[in-house]
Amino acid sequence: MKHWFDLYAVLIRSSIQSRMQYRMNFVLGTLLASLIQIAEFLMIAIILNKFGAVKGWSLHEVGYLFAVMTLSKTLYRTFASDVHHLERYLTTGELDQLLTRPMPVLLALMSQNVRLMPAELLQGSAVLYWSLHGLMSAGQITWTAVPYTLLAIVAGAVILFAIGLATAAVGFWMTRINELQTLTEDASQTAARYPLVLYPSWLRSFLLVAIPVGFVNYVPSLFILRGEYGPWLILAVALLAACVLGLALTFWKFGLSRYQSTGS
Amino acid sequence: MGAMIEVCGLHKQFRTPVVKEGRFAGIRTLFTRECRLKEAVKDISFTIQKGDFVGYIGPNGAGKSTTIKMLTGILHPSAGEVKINGVNPHKHRRRVAQKLGVVFGQRSQLWWDLPVKDSYDILAHMYRVAPAEKERRLAELGELLDLKEFWETPVRKLSLGQRMRADIAASLLHDPDVLFLDEPTIGLDVTAKRSIREFLKTLNGEFGKTILLTTHDMDDIEQLCRRVMVINHGELSYEGTIEHLRDKIGLPTVIRIVFRGSYRLPAQEGARMPLQLRLNGAEGEFRIIEASGSEVLIEANRQQAKAMDILRMVGGWGEIADIHMEEPDFEDIIHRVY
Repeated sequence: MKHWFDLYAVLIRSSIQSRMQYRMNFVLGTLLASLIQIAEFLMIAIILNKFGAVKGWSLHEVGYLFAVMTLSKTLYRTFASDVHHLERYLTTGELDQLLTRPMPVLLALMSQNVRLMPAELLQGSAVLYWSLHGLMSAGQITWTAVPYTLLAIVAGAVILFAIGLATAAVGFWMTRINELQTLTEDASQTAARYPLVLYPSWLRSFLLVAIPVGFVNYVPSLFILRGEYGPWLILAVALLAACVLGLALTFWKFGLSRYQSTGS
Repeated sequence: MGAMIEVCGLHKQFRTPVVKEGRFAGIRTLFTRECRLKEAVKDISFTIQKGDFVGYIGPNGAGKSTTIKMLTGILHPSAGEVKINGVNPHKHRRRVAQKLGVVFGQRSQLWWDLPVKDSYDILAHMYRVAPAEKERRLAELGELLDLKEFWETPVRKLSLGQRMRADIAASLLHDPDVLFLDEPTIGLDVTAKRSIREFLKTLNGEFGKTILLTTHDMDDIEQLCRRVMVINHGELSYEGTIEHLRDKIGLPTVIRIVFRGSYRLPAQEGARMPLQLRLNGAEGEFRIIEASGSEVLIEANRQQAKAMDILRMVGGWGEIADIHMEEPDFEDIIHRVY
């Protein structure tokens, strides 16, 4: 186990070193990402400011949902980088190379082309700070929300990773998975940035059962922000994260055994 | 001596969904259950002994790469079994990978943007090579392959020949038992090819590595391999020594002869009829395939007629000004046989 952790660390470091060869590209990319992040948040802020609270959710609460989703996603995309880009490996046959190495393919894939995401991290943290601060000042929550939130972010990252992994594994049959990823990853994550009560019940069930992104931020927030249910809710979310991860890994392994490679 | 690679009844079928035509073809293809089966490899069996140097040849699309991918654990066979030093690469992929060196000529396994030496550090970690062991082996490989000149250069800036040397060294860092080389000399110039071949010879001869080589370069095969396997349409059509393969398919040589002044061809009963060669006890036959102006084109099978004997006989027809021998292209011949 220690060997894998060490190796993962070495590979991530090499990945970042490679990227630093193109410093200008890194700086530009980070700047652009920051702009996109600011624009995204401004849009939500403007909408909320105009309409005030939505279905009983205050601006600070929506900011919280938004921030937790951003941070979970950042964590997932940083530490499992190229799982999201499996399609490229499948179409070019690059996966062959990873399969000739004495390490799990998933670990190899996770450590390829690692991208540091300082813009996303900064924006997520800032919004989270602002939300928590506002809610604490209003006396809605206490400092205990902080450790619960951190736990929720990590569990959320695991859930997003599991969804991404399962989607990628479909690629072993379909090869082209970009469209599917738009549905299961991008669109779902964007939708879950808002309180799920906004949506019709079929969509809410979809975001909780079919693609369980609702468990990343919405479900934990019911307890952390509103004191509903109880602390066990966070534990249940963590448990659920472990379960979907297990399922996704099993599916991934099965998919890998069906890998067809490309012609030479 | 023991078996290093054992392959028994290997099959591989690929399923490709039948592509629909007409309206909404894309979506209908997505949901169709109709599949076209393509048999890429059909019932292949062979054994490679420890220390063997085997060439694996065949035309594009014959199933070469598919076989190699099954041997290295990349693809799961549809049926049959592979054993590398007694271990099944599909059940124990990582354990087998630890003992394999794989070089794909078309693709580098090194870290593109990092200096060459960094790649070796990473690989040493990956294959659990101890630091002292790594240094020792790199010193040895560095000398044999002349790696020192581009030690600090990022891989993307290497020439093709340098990159190939660096890649081969990378595949040997963990001291594998078996080396799979897929087109290791592709695109290289003559000097680079020669140095790679010399190294592979040493590797096999002195270090006793078992090597399986696929290539389109017949010089590679002739100079390096003790045995060849020929695959065509997914089936193994020949397995044995190169000499025996030659005997089996013959080696037609084309001789282009330019006469000075006039010459006289022997009477032929019909175009392209074989001419009997009877000269000083040498026997054989060859044929004239073309005669135009001062040039005559002769085709002979070297198994049946020696070039010298033919030239001696042709010398009687007129005064020879120039001779040009075209060596047969091995691959062409293999194509012609099937």
